[in-house]
Amino acid sequence: MKRINKLFEKKWASTLMWIILLIVAWEIAATVVAATKRTPENIMPHLYQILAAAFSTKPVASGMSATMVVLTSARATILRALLGFLVGTGIGFLLALVMKMSGICEKMLFPYLMLIQLIPVLGLAPIIFSITGDINKSRVIIAGILSFYPVATNTLAGFKSVDKDKYDLMYTYAAKRRTIYTKVLIPSAIPYFFTGTKIAAPMAITASILVDTLQGDGGLGCMLSQSLKHAMSIYVFWLIVFFSAFIGVFSSCLMTWIENLISPEKRGLRKAAKMKGGN
Amino acid sequence: MAQKRKRPKSLYRRMKENKKVQAVATVLLPVLLGIVILSLWQTQVLHHWFKTDTFTLPLLDRIGVIISENTGKIWENVVATMTVAIIGLVAGSLLGYGVAVLAALFPRAGKGGLSVIGAFASIPVVALAPVMNNWTKDVSNDASTRSMVAKILVVMLIAAADMGLNAYRGLTELKPYAKDLMATYAAKKRTTFVKLQLPNSVPYIFVALKVSVPASIMTAIVSEYFAEYITGVGRQIRENIVLSQYSTAWAYIATACLLGIISYVVLMIVQSILLRRYH
Repeated sequence: MKRINKLFEKKWASTLMWIILLIVAWEIAATVVAATKRTPENIMPHLYQILAAAFSTKPVASGMSATMVVLTSARATILRALLGFLVGTGIGFLLALVMKMSGICEKMLFPYLMLIQLIPVLGLAPIIFSITGDINKSRVIIAGILSFYPVATNTLAGFKSVDKDKYDLMYTYAAKRRTIYTKVLIPSAIPYFFTGTKIAAPMAITASILVDTLQGDGGLGCMLSQSLKHAMSIYVFWLIVFFSAFIGVFSSCLMTWIENLISPEKRGLRKAAKMKGGN
Repeated sequence: MAQKRKRPKSLYRRMKENKKVQAVATVLLPVLLGIVILSLWQTQVLHHWFKTDTFTLPLLDRIGVIISENTGKIWENVVATMTVAIIGLVAGSLLGYGVAVLAALFPRAGKGGLSVIGAFASIPVVALAPVMNNWTKDVSNDASTRSMVAKILVVMLIAAADMGLNAYRGLTELKPYAKDLMATYAAKKRTTFVKLQLPNSVPYIFVALKVSVPASIMTAIVSEYFAEYITGVGRQIRENIVLSQYSTAWAYIATACLLGIISYVVLMIVQSILLRRYH
């Protein structure tokens, strides 16, 4: 019992327990569904059936196996999401910087920054598609808008969180404005910036998949709606559901990882933890 | 060494230090920007920039006319969307809060549950919506009821994730020594919870709601795209674009934006009433 308790002090142990619980619940439900429904695979297939579909080499669409279909369309979706995400984060960061530099800009733009969060941008997907007329452009625009505002608001909050002492210190150093920005403001806004990107990354992927469903142009969303209409094996649908859930969660984790990689204070913490563990 | 002569303040500097001017600017600048954008729209300069026509991007007065002509139908769809968003939001927030309470009471097992529920927030809505549609096939024979249940479930999961993470922080990030103080009072675990942890989590609930209110409207709109029964503001945007009725689609877009803004304003009013004693 003591050992079990000790195990649960680690966070991953209890996460693992919950994941196992979810899997068990899914399997029980799947067994019930399999016993009562005519087409259980449409509603809730067993997880091993989905796994089997992932590893089967049987072609499901144009000579490609299910995994191939998912991966090729995922590549298209993720690349477009990534482009939109990069553009959006870049603009978001720059906008926050401009708003910090100029009070007039901040006053003028800040209410609109709040406003854009309240607008259901994903709902605008069809209309942006019809304005641009190009599915790729609209995907990048929507993913860009969605990733730009969390980054902009969070980074701005980061710029504003800098203590007055630090300004005073820089003032005693007779630091130039530029130096203040590069040495104080931007480094202290970086953690906030990453909080923004952690929200933005899954959103960009959601946006990209949603725009896929608007037009038959490959991509996860397109395959998703096709397999729902039974144009190909329903397992493709389940694979896509699990895969997109995975990349959504993964993208958020990836941001945490990048943050840990580039921020010096986290690096120091990690080093300290390692030393402690070593002794 | 001659002392530096004090320069007279520039007009810009003087305006920056005047509180009244600043207060006026906070209101005036965004309004000016809004007027500029709207007039660019109405005079078709925007159309020229985006290389589009008044058919896909109708003029403002045309959108206004359509809204006033179709108030009945638009209201019907607003009710459909908002029922989903509100029921989902309330149910999800309660669920999320419940999980957070469990996690705060039993931290060993609960923390993992929290990270699992947090992962749900990163799952693309696009993947959740069709799954929920499949699962709710048996809920009712009536297509409108069962697709509503499906949509509510999607909104619920998203709202639960937001609320769970924030409420947990509210329940556990207490003021330093607050828990020790309760211990010196020999307070029971229940008393500590009711008197200390619950009140401490109230502001965090609003932090969660600030994110989840716009998010649940957006989720409701997106899950309408996948729903079986054609209703709701989001679905109308898409249906009208498919039919090339762009002005009607824009009327629904304007409605969707208004819904987002109004619900946020309502939330702010509720917050200022409930949190009055905190200020």
